[in-house]
Amino acid sequence: MLRIAGILAVAGFIVALEIPGLMKKKQKRELWAFSILLMLGVGFGMISILLNNVPSPLSGITFVFKPLSDILSGIGLIK
Amino acid sequence: MVEQQTISARQMTIITILFSTGSAILIIPSDMASMAKQDAWIAALVGMGFGCFIIWLFNALAIRFPRMTLVEIAEAVLGKWLGGALMLLVMISLLISGSGAVLYFVGNFMVTQMMPETPIQAFNILYAVIVVIGVRLGLETLARSAEILFPWFILLLVLFFIVVAFKIKPENIQPIMENGIKPLWPPALSLISIVFLPSIVLLMVTSDVNQPKEARKALFKGSLYGGMIITVITGMATMVLGPDLAARSMYASYLLAQKISLGHFLQRIEAIVAAIWLIAIYFRITFYFYAVVQTLAHILRLKDYRPLVLPLGLILVVLSVVNYPNVAYMQDWDNRIWPALMLANGLFFPLLLFVVSFLRKKRTNR
Repeated sequence: MLRIAGILAVAGFIVALEIPGLMKKKQKRELWAFSILLMLGVGFGMISILLNNVPSPLSGITFVFKPLSDILSGIGLIK
Repeated sequence: MVEQQTISARQMTIITILFSTGSAILIIPSDMASMAKQDAWIAALVGMGFGCFIIWLFNALAIRFPRMTLVEIAEAVLGKWLGGALMLLVMISLLISGSGAVLYFVGNFMVTQMMPETPIQAFNILYAVIVVIGVRLGLETLARSAEILFPWFILLLVLFFIVVAFKIKPENIQPIMENGIKPLWPPALSLISIVFLPSIVLLMVTSDVNQPKEARKALFKGSLYGGMIITVITGMATMVLGPDLAARSMYASYLLAQKISLGHFLQRIEAIVAAIWLIAIYFRITFYFYAVVQTLAHILRLKDYRPLVLPLGLILVVLSVVNYPNVAYMQDWDNRIWPALMLANGLFFPLLLFVVSFLRKKRTNR
């Protein structure tokens, strides 16, 4: 619970720091990009706290690059 | 961008040195020693040779498109959509496996070697905060801080080399080339993928150097010096500790510093190594992060990249915590997948851009 509150507090701090400037300059695209990224960040943070065994994001990269890695170890470039 | 920030060629050289030695100083020696045993230093030299070729490729690409960042080059060569999409994939993979993983290295090192009772998240968050501050303040500020910290980096490094040199036992690296040339390739590739291939992200910065010609020289010189530092450290670690001990310890150069005792007076100077490493790795994380943020801002056609920095910083901290479930996973991933990923990002991708730009005879008017 404390950790979730911590993430929300950080998100609130970031919003308080960035939003006024963006509103004043009327930068709509920046505002959208900022909000979506912040939502992603808070979402990832929540997932990492709520789930016991978070799947590593690296396993996605492993899935894509396993074939190339196998070829490289086949020709003796990876031990 | 709101205002164009420019840096000098000297600052670019320093940034390149710090970036390329970043995570390598502490990780490479044991990596090389475990794969190549007593020939680690030869493998490092082989890797440096190929690394120079890779930097030459980056520069060859930069010559065709002066004053353009990597993402602008990709969009000019492959078109707005394909170029942008490929760049986004490269940068997302680098955000996860580059900056996120390196931030984990910092926390893991501090927890296992220096402050075992502090939770790892504390180090990750503190370090991410200064990375975010640096990137928000902009390239010029980062370049100046690199310039200020660089003399300390070199001073500590030279001091370290001098003190360690007393302990060298040349018989530790004999017999030379016992098993022929074949076992040297994996460590050489490992060195290239950690020291040279990630420098592709510096192509996002070289376009901001005030003289393009000097920028290319700076990238080459910086990588060369960085490679030399890594080669010397690898050689010293194997010569002082012996290949077995160097391979078994996770941070060989740190252990190396712990071994030093000059006349029972000058002892326990490992904090020097930690300081060298923390300076260099700061610029490693920061420039990975800076490249990701700049690319994203360019692809989304934002006028200012700064609003993206803080949310991405939050994502960075989460990544650093969830990336590696344990150290065994880390070593396996870094040994097997990281070289393949970096070959794709740092060699095949610029090669593709180079060849296609050649075929389409596209270059900007000078």
